[in-house]
Amino acid sequence: MTERTPDNGGVSGDPSDGPTAEWFAELAADDPEHDPFARPADSAPAEPPAADTPGEPSDTDEHPPAAPPVITGSDIPAPQEGGPATGPQPPVSDEPFAAPGGPAPAQEPVSERPAVPDAGPGTGPQPPVEAGAPAPDAGPATGPQPPVAAEPPAGPGVPPGGPAPAQEDGPGTGPQPPVSGEPFAAAGGPGTGPQPAVGGEHPERPEAGATGTGPQPVPGEHPDLAALVALGRSEDEGGTPPTGTPVPGEGAEPPAREDGSFAGAPVAPHPHDAEGERAPGVVVESMPVDTVAVAERTPDQRQPYVELGMNEEEYRRVRQILGRRPTSAELAIYSVMWSEHCSYKSSKVHLRQFAEKAPQSEALLVGMGENAGVVDVGRGLAVTFKVESHNHPSYVEPYQGAATGVGGIVRDILSMGARPIAVMDSLRFGPADAPDTQRVLPGVVAGISGYGNSLGLPNIGGETVFDPCYEKNPLVNALCIGVMRHEDIKRAHAPGPGNKVILFGAATGPDGIGGASVLASATFDEESQAKRPSVQVGDPFMEKLLIECCMELYREDLVVGIQDLGAAGVSCATTELAAAGAGGMHIVLDAVPLRDPTLRPEEILMSESQERMMAVVEPAKVDRFLEICAKWEIPATVIGEVTDTGRLVMTWRGEVIVDIPPGTAADEGPVYERPQEPPADLAALQADTPGRLARPANAEDLRNTVLWLAASPNLSAKTWVTSQYDRYVLGNTVLAMPEDAGVLRLDEESGLGVAVSLDGNGRYTRLDPYSGAQLALSEAYRNVAMTGARPLAVTNCLNFGSPEDPGVMWQFAQATRGLADACQALGVPVTGGNVSFYNQTDDKPINPTPVVGVLGVHDDVRRRVTIGFPAEGHRVVLLGETREEFGGSEWAHVVYGHLGGLPPLVDLAAERALAAVMVSAAHEGLLSGAHDLSDGGLSQALVESCLRGGLGVRVTLPGDPFVALFSESVARAVVAVRPGSEARLAQLCEAAGVPATQIGVVGGDSFTVEGLFSIPLHELREAHERLLPSYA
Amino acid sequence: MNAARVGVITFPGSLDDRDAARAVRLAGAEPVSLWHADHDLQGVDAVILPGGFSYGDYLRAGALSRFAPIMDELIPAARAGLPVLGICNGFQVLCEAHLLPGALLPNAGLHFVCRDQRLRIDNADTVWTGEYSEGQEIVVPVKNRDGRYTADPDTLEELESTGRVVARYLDLNPNGSLNDIAGICNEAGNVVGLMPHPEHAVESLTGPSTDGLGFFTSIVKAGLGQVGVG
Repeated sequence: MTERTPDNGGVSGDPSDGPTAEWFAELAADDPEHDPFARPADSAPAEPPAADTPGEPSDTDEHPPAAPPVITGSDIPAPQEGGPATGPQPPVSDEPFAAPGGPAPAQEPVSERPAVPDAGPGTGPQPPVEAGAPAPDAGPATGPQPPVAAEPPAGPGVPPGGPAPAQEDGPGTGPQPPVSGEPFAAAGGPGTGPQPAVGGEHPERPEAGATGTGPQPVPGEHPDLAALVALGRSEDEGGTPPTGTPVPGEGAEPPAREDGSFAGAPVAPHPHDAEGERAPGVVVESMPVDTVAVAERTPDQRQPYVELGMNEEEYRRVRQILGRRPTSAELAIYSVMWSEHCSYKSSKVHLRQFAEKAPQSEALLVGMGENAGVVDVGRGLAVTFKVESHNHPSYVEPYQGAATGVGGIVRDILSMGARPIAVMDSLRFGPADAPDTQRVLPGVVAGISGYGNSLGLPNIGGETVFDPCYEKNPLVNALCIGVMRHEDIKRAHAPGPGNKVILFGAATGPDGIGGASVLASATFDEESQAKRPSVQVGDPFMEKLLIECCMELYREDLVVGIQDLGAAGVSCATTELAAAGAGGMHIVLDAVPLRDPTLRPEEILMSESQERMMAVVEPAKVDRFLEICAKWEIPATVIGEVTDTGRLVMTWRGEVIVDIPPGTAADEGPVYERPQEPPADLAALQADTPGRLARPANAEDLRNTVLWLAASPNLSAKTWVTSQYDRYVLGNTVLAMPEDAGVLRLDEESGLGVAVSLDGNGRYTRLDPYSGAQLALSEAYRNVAMTGARPLAVTNCLNFGSPEDPGVMWQFAQATRGLADACQALGVPVTGGNVSFYNQTDDKPINPTPVVGVLGVHDDVRRRVTIGFPAEGHRVVLLGETREEFGGSEWAHVVYGHLGGLPPLVDLAAERALAAVMVSAAHEGLLSGAHDLSDGGLSQALVESCLRGGLGVRVTLPGDPFVALFSESVARAVVAVRPGSEARLAQLCEAAGVPATQIGVVGGDSFTVEGLFSIPLHELREAHERLLPSYA
Repeated sequence: MNAARVGVITFPGSLDDRDAARAVRLAGAEPVSLWHADHDLQGVDAVILPGGFSYGDYLRAGALSRFAPIMDELIPAARAGLPVLGICNGFQVLCEAHLLPGALLPNAGLHFVCRDQRLRIDNADTVWTGEYSEGQEIVVPVKNRDGRYTADPDTLEELESTGRVVARYLDLNPNGSLNDIAGICNEAGNVVGLMPHPEHAVESLTGPSTDGLGFFTSIVKAGLGQVGVG
């Protein structure tokens, strides 16, 4: 391993260190002649640029053509703003219900049916429904054919690669790894020097194995760190960081980065595109490295800020901040940090409401502003969770896009100090029978499966939704949950001048360079194919090692600050750590271990290579830190140290190429109040109510409609998807899909656990964004409560079209306001989230789709309630009030492809009351099953509960059977009650003001509606499972 | 009597190691964590190679872990009779190490498959299956990407004729394994490879059943350090 100098305050690394020194000598000889921004944009190769001559740094003038020269941020965890709400506060939802009042009138077990509330036009803002109006065509009478071909999606997205095992020869063939823990031949093999093992390259990796590119910087410190002494580092050499260092420039607001996953600044066409006269690889301009000194001497040099997604005004501000033109490296940093994705410049003014309106919650330990929020779940444990999008990459390259989406959110959770314990995913695709869906869906599922399963994280739930609006804009939102002890919570900050900055994990390659801005900002068009190299490539094995390595680092308390690298890579990690800490940092950029030695400093700054983390470590702990990394075969390199100069300074081959106040990049990006107005077609859409649609005319039609819905893409069984996910690993999965919420055990002894649900409904939000966002929260909140958990906190992923479209911006403003208001009303704070803009093709945005995750707590997961109705004879009770609500419903969508009217009325008070009933009923063990009513209404809930429990049900419907079966009114559930508990349940409902209607009994082998129809379970099952193929 | 000490090896990329340890504990034995880079079996009475994606399944599943330092100790010990159970990735490692014959190919459907699987115990005489009865049907999770057991016809015939097929898939063959084979043992019966995950069927709260516990109680009942016989 490398030599490490004694702890003398930072200068380290012996310049005579064999290969390392040679490497730098070679690098120094490599005259860096060109400005990467000058590379022809149209020369982007179809593959990520690889090191063309592995083993020795190129000294030619021609770098391989790099990815498009447009750069922005993509995917970094980021906090929403506002600090943790503190102070006293009412308990979230334990309360109301244990009805202190006298004995409630027990309902008669069997036939008492309160009248169904009349769903007249007076009940809400919904326009009157014209029952029975003739439909233009194709009614449900055509029978239960699902509108989608039941053809299996095309073959597997990415078949497991690699050679098949040789049956006889076994391991004797093929590249044989050394017996030690350095299995990868690609890593250079024993003897090549002090390079740590696990180079991360493996035979299947599509990206050119750059591991052979020669000795990489060794774990440990870099010779050039000597430069630190000369470059304004703090004089404080001590190993103990001073505390309380003021942070220059840090305002009252915490960093407002909220994680715009792929939102980005608009990308102007690259001027070179139009010229069309340059052959790929031809160097157009050449100039020496753009140092600060050069920048000062050449104030008028033209800079490609437009190509980098910055506007004139933003560029001018950078010049103003610096008092000179930025260097190309500085321009790269500002362009990516001020991109929509990293700066939330369009969304910030709206997201503030999540903090301003946050209900007080004693459970909130870390609010918005860090990588993920943290809530107290009791017994000294804290849980962190967050959802993040990886939409555009998943369209361009479904497998890697989705895989790295999982990888990114897992590192967010990891960087909070938590052990990741589960993932979930919310997926949206175009029509199930669209050819492109059959490309995207299997690839996305295989990517989530391939990455998540390899990390050993159970996938416990999510959604799979189909709608034409997502055809070229699939949504891949991944959620991760982590757990830690309170005292282990980590922050992304760099306090203590003299502390070391360590980059650990995978080496830096050309992954996703420009990915952030190209992918984040551009809407899709024919050029998408050319963007393939912009998608990062994941290595889940490296991430698994990172997880275990971090756990050990945390256990020994070796880090004072930590940040994962996602979008904007080193740029983001250094600016944010420095801005949130002592205020300054010195980085020796050429100490960054590279997979491709031809990378330019700007590219290193922008690279989105996966599986990397940055830690701030006290000098005295550096050796132990590196030892643990070595144990896990994780490359780790000291690349700089914390200073109190208030400046982020980076050097490249001894020259200063970056010298900026870090807060100006990290926290003080532009903020826009973009114009907004309701979409022009909204009034007409709302006026086109489903009242004009013909309803099932008779019992046969009703029966067919039940089957039709059960077989429809959005409501059908998703076993084909979920069976590709490991739901068992870690051994604490209590409930997983297709349950209402995923439930995890945290503590084996007490049974303490959590429930999480992830929900959204783009059709509702299209019809009314304010209500739609609230309905997403309502549903997730309800789902968590169905299992018996107390809802505690919220995360969200806001997927929208272009913020430059006033219609979209209006939707966004409405949706955020609605969500913030609803969180306040339900007493559940938003702890963090993510915004994804530019989900549109040409000028056609997706339906606005806020996806909301709710986390709840189970004091004892052994009392959890499942959706299956498992026991004959248990009474079936419908909770909540059913109105005539079909705007945006699955019925209108499936049967007529209709979207119009208004979504169901939001009733947060009723939602809260229902949740309270469910929590108490679960606690008291009254229920044998419970399922929320949402998409597809009572019909679909009963279908799923029957199929899950393997028993039929016989019900009598109150009121209009069509409305009873298919309306999507909120705050409703259907439960199966244990014998003898009926009266107690009625009492709970009475006290909470929740209408309860006994509608039937569990048993038999069919779904029977008295007086109307009966459907055998095998027929239901066949319909429900027809769409997506079962196992291959 | 002292509790049996059962080692669970952690390779880089092992995933179900803690679950195997939990199952050992629930069966009344003492789990002992073993590290791939050590040349030390710590005197355990039996060893479990857990599920996961050791070394990311790079090259092919189990191919790299087979060269871990601890395998230098395990291979001779297993040949000398130490009870060894390889689950999923562990099964793959045992095949790569030639402690068991055959190989595990990518699933017939080319997808990772996770499901609650019905199995039949066809050999209840190994040290790992003594608590079951021959022909007993159990339900445990199967979850793998490369679980399709394959061997040449002679090997297959030998396995069948000598009763070395330990467990077989019922209802549905989830990965295309030849002869519906879910698990096999060596000639002596002390080394068992199993593609399904019995360690995930040891608690009714978190598993589809508790049917998997038998593999772990079997080793406890077999007695400390005794060499099992097939």
